[in-house]
Amino acid sequence: MTTLEARRRPTLSGGIDGVFRIALRTAGFLVLGLMVTVGGFLLFRGLTAFAAAGPAFLTTQTWEPDSRNFGIAAVLVGTLLIASVALVVAFPIALGMALYISEYAPRWFKRFLTSAIDLMAAVPSVVYGLFGATMLQWNGLDVPRWLSIQFGWIPFLDVPEADPDNPLSPLNVYTASSFWAGLVVGFMIMPFICSVMRESFTQAPPGEREGAYALGSTRWGMIRSVVLPFGRSGMIGGTMLGLGRALGETIAVAMIISPIFVIQPHILGAGANSVSALIAQQWGAASPFGLSALMAAGLALFTLTLIVNFAASAVIARSRSGQGSDA
Amino acid sequence: MTRQVRVRSRVLALLSALTVLVTVTVGFAPAAAAQGYVAISGAGSTWSFNAIDQWRKNVQQFGMRVNFSGTGSTDGRNQFKAGQIDFAVSEIPYGLTDGGVKDYPPADGNFAYMPIVAGGTSLMYNLKIGGKRVTNLRLSGEVVTKIFTRRITMWNDPAIHADNPSLTLPARQIIPVVRSDGSGSTAQFTAWMAAQHGAIWDDFCREAKRATPCGFTSNYPSLKGIIAQDKSIGVANYVRQNQSEGAITYVEYSYAKNAGFPVAKLLNAKGYYVGPTAQAVAVALLRARINDDLTQDLTQVYTDQDARTYPMSSYSYMIMPTAVNQKFNDQKGRTLSDFAYYFLCEGQQSADRLGFSPLPINLVQAGLRQVARIPGSTRQTPDLSRCNNPTFSTDGTNTLAKTAPQPPECDRKGATAQCDDAGKPATNTGGSGGSSGGGSKTGGSGGTGGSSGGGTSTGGTGAGGDGAAGGGGAAGGTGDGAAGGDGAAGGGDGAGGGDGAEGGDGGDGGSSGNTATAQPVSVDLPQRDGTLLVIAAAVLMVALVAGPPLVARLMRRTGGRS
Repeated sequence: MTTLEARRRPTLSGGIDGVFRIALRTAGFLVLGLMVTVGGFLLFRGLTAFAAAGPAFLTTQTWEPDSRNFGIAAVLVGTLLIASVALVVAFPIALGMALYISEYAPRWFKRFLTSAIDLMAAVPSVVYGLFGATMLQWNGLDVPRWLSIQFGWIPFLDVPEADPDNPLSPLNVYTASSFWAGLVVGFMIMPFICSVMRESFTQAPPGEREGAYALGSTRWGMIRSVVLPFGRSGMIGGTMLGLGRALGETIAVAMIISPIFVIQPHILGAGANSVSALIAQQWGAASPFGLSALMAAGLALFTLTLIVNFAASAVIARSRSGQGSDA
Repeated sequence: MTRQVRVRSRVLALLSALTVLVTVTVGFAPAAAAQGYVAISGAGSTWSFNAIDQWRKNVQQFGMRVNFSGTGSTDGRNQFKAGQIDFAVSEIPYGLTDGGVKDYPPADGNFAYMPIVAGGTSLMYNLKIGGKRVTNLRLSGEVVTKIFTRRITMWNDPAIHADNPSLTLPARQIIPVVRSDGSGSTAQFTAWMAAQHGAIWDDFCREAKRATPCGFTSNYPSLKGIIAQDKSIGVANYVRQNQSEGAITYVEYSYAKNAGFPVAKLLNAKGYYVGPTAQAVAVALLRARINDDLTQDLTQVYTDQDARTYPMSSYSYMIMPTAVNQKFNDQKGRTLSDFAYYFLCEGQQSADRLGFSPLPINLVQAGLRQVARIPGSTRQTPDLSRCNNPTFSTDGTNTLAKTAPQPPECDRKGATAQCDDAGKPATNTGGSGGSSGGGSKTGGSGGTGGSSGGGTSTGGTGAGGDGAAGGGGAAGGTGDGAAGGDGAAGGGDGAGGGDGAEGGDGGDGGSSGNTATAQPVSVDLPQRDGTLLVIAAAVLMVALVAGPPLVARLMRRTGGRS
């Protein structure tokens, strides 16, 4: 045994192995380098705007860079609102879908569903945007209306502009909102979350599954006691992946929302905003200083996404250590 | 055996897929470039997109491939400046100062402006009275400015009623819809507001936290209550939805025309309400001062004293290179010049049909001189008499403007009756309608109130002021006088009636009296029936995307079984 290893090692560490190691290391550092470059570029280009705005950049809601009056308070909050709606929509669907595919669906249907979900992930976001902007938000108008009438006592579901008692009050107060943008983004991130979850659920060890059954648990009991704990890291990881995408989703959001630059806590009411949609809509028409301001906003989004991802990986690392003792 | 079968079926599948691919690419590709035209690409204005897109399709038969993406004028100018496209289309030139920032022209200065088409920035709206679409709305400049600056927020505002004495507008909120991207339409519209109603406009800018004086801008300031949408097609789509009743937007006339929606007639300096027809635009632009570089100065247009003028008229420009650079060469110049010769001459015929207005002869000639400056230009001298441009005449005057009809008397501000859709005075034979409305009211509210209300409405030819005055005398009458076809408002005002159902009755009666003012137009008819093509494309796409994996799976399964 030892002689075998001793004989192998010299051939492994030299020649092709060295090349391979260098290539992999380069790839690893390239990713890191790219990240640093993007961040550095945004910082460098946004510096003019940061210098002009100062700390007010974080607290100002207006976006009029050419009048030197701009900040990301409104757009950043809008981004988070849209992403939260997206997660609230996508998480339960994705979880249910992943559990159904991995545990309940018959074999042939399993494969069909898997391809269908992959297909859903392949649909370009502009198509989702069109679907949301011209079809969904107009035909589904009754959903936010019902929500706001029934649950208007919850502050963020209230639509102050709406007047349900007046038949002449405009219905469009329920369109172009964070809700619709978030819903469509939720449809878009659902397949990503779902496939990560499905992967992790199918990897729950069969021994434990059998054990749970042997102890007399039902299928749901088995899922609760074996599949879900084993898949926890996958669930969190998939959700964070989805959240990262939701934070950065651009075109679909830009097509649906009516951008406003005040913090709009009423997610069902017209008017919303997100950093990426702001950049998409304004960069073509921006002055040099306006462009710098957009870069600064981009850096803020970049930082936010980094924080979210690092938080996610920390959570995953912690839950994985717990899982190891289970296994 | 099984292996052979599998291989054979796989080859078959591959062949069929190839056949589909070949059919698609060959069948839909434009005829091979007959004269060896090199493809060119441009970007910019969505205002004139509908015209350029039509011309672009028309020249495909000559083998010219012209790509144009309507990404907004500002984006077009920026992309041209960055050398990313061969030509840009914009409503406004370089060098203007927007919000304190000057839009510098390309550094090398090798570009020229060429007018391509004229048109009116129109006010497309979605409004119904008693379930019938309003098609003869009239607005004065100040009211328009106040609507888009949120000084007027309700359709039944007295200022709007003063413009529309024959319409009894509902107590519905106005939803101003503006562009969220950098846009030449916004630039034209705000330039007009800044020039004509600067004080209101500056107030609004201050409220939106912009530096004042505001002047024109390509990016409409954002304010709560104003809906902003992406691109011309985005705002038009937003307004045309059934659910956005009460919305109004500024957009080139062709978008409203394509959507089958009415546009407001705008009050001109002479005191007439005029719509953005090709002729009204042609008349207005007689007053446009054309600078040496062919850019336009529209201040005279806004205040033109001709009764036939549509005040918000303007030209759209192509910005094209006049020297070879890294991206633009002589071959591209050849395509661009032939494309320009086409739309300056023949293309102008279709301007009116598309919702634009053709260029007058002096601008066509000036444009032709610019085309000759394109590097690689084919330098044709087209026979202008064969262009069939409706503005051309033998004596050099603008025929279209010359033959433009005077607006009917009913379109004069202060005329007793307002024009209906056909241009005839809306003879408010409100007698029958009004009294029938009053009659239906009477049932609930007591004879004297209802009948006196109906009577007043008749006398006042539907004027809300009179109706309301009548209502002052008799409580029941108010509903008839003021409702004029609007159920819920009738319900609110019909104090004598007291309940909603009766308000609805009153509304019906009133609207039958006012049939002349609110005529339905066929909105939901498809303008261009592309549905079949869309479905075909969707099926093809699904087949292309889902087909191969399905076939593969099928083959795998049959292979596995046998």
